[in-house]
Amino acid sequence: MKKKMTDPDFINPVEMPSGISLHPVQDAAVDRVLDDLMEKTPALFVLLAEAGGQILAVRGGKHASDIVALSTLVASDMAASREIARLTNQYRTGQMVLREGPDSNTFTTEAGPRMVLFVRAAKEVPLGWARLLIQETGRQLADVVAAPHDNVEALELGLDEEKLSALFGDGLDSIWKE
Amino acid sequence: MQINWQLRELNLKIVYYGPALSGKTTNLAQIHARVDPAHRSDLVSLKTREDRTLFFDFLQLELGKISNLTPKIHLYTVPGQSYYEASRRLVLQGADGVVFVADSAPECLNANMVSWRDMETQLASFDLSVDTLPVVVQCNKQDIRGALPPARIQQMLHIYTLPTLPAVATQGKGVFDTLKAITLRVVARVQNEAAMA
Repeated sequence: MKKKMTDPDFINPVEMPSGISLHPVQDAAVDRVLDDLMEKTPALFVLLAEAGGQILAVRGGKHASDIVALSTLVASDMAASREIARLTNQYRTGQMVLREGPDSNTFTTEAGPRMVLFVRAAKEVPLGWARLLIQETGRQLADVVAAPHDNVEALELGLDEEKLSALFGDGLDSIWKE
Repeated sequence: MQINWQLRELNLKIVYYGPALSGKTTNLAQIHARVDPAHRSDLVSLKTREDRTLFFDFLQLELGKISNLTPKIHLYTVPGQSYYEASRRLVLQGADGVVFVADSAPECLNANMVSWRDMETQLASFDLSVDTLPVVVQCNKQDIRGALPPARIQQMLHIYTLPTLPAVATQGKGVFDTLKAITLRVVARVQNEAAMA
């Protein structure tokens, strides 16, 4: 019988539960892992995105104006790639998509079920070395996010603000031009 | 929803769903055109040669600091053509709210119903439903001859409790009201979840 998502032992490799909350301790750990990857590869650019395409961290590169778009496309690319792998019975955890470019190569890999890691490295960086390092980094990042941490009160983010909805409404009003 | 406690960022994902050619991309194009460029990203569109949505359109809005937060709203559309069911499911996952863009043309009534059922099926695969996820219905193309009134579309889709708004997206009418309605519902849900956590 097909298991439902609510079953405790439900595992479906193509399900990417979106929504992730990074505690400051986790954020700092993510920074360390990405800095290490930048140095060891060496990488030209690193982007860590949530599976839904929201940016979590960026290192290097000169794509500042395109990062939001890039993050969305990277996450979508990985989502489509997963689905293709599933349909062809070729899915395995930690899959990677490699694109060979004229000057650099890009690697997109899962960092656990909730994040996607995108790395750009110069052509001179051996593919095998980069692949090994990036996949290991993906595993480390997944562990960082999965690790338990102290609860952070919703108060700290102001989510208990009584007029929050109204403030969002005002925020939208202020950026809209008729 | 994604929260970065360090940066105090709250990222919300809203998906525009609906039948083919109902005006989902037009909604995003209008939002892109009418929001101060300092508060939005470029509009990302993955289209076919025929200018139809292949995978999704995407736009990010930044509202500036609110309360103790820096909220960012991510807007996506799904491809409406039935052929792209798998793509729709991928885009829909992780959504914090959905705008269902219905086509008010009388001949599109069936297409609206098919798309609505498709959305319910996709949501169910994520253990979600229109009862648990914030959903707003936009009745677009109210300017065409014989356009179905929102009440009629509500009746056909059996959605009496959901906010249903008229719109003419090509003219920008109803686009902002829809965006605001879904955003406020999503924020209310986030607050509820935070209160229960």
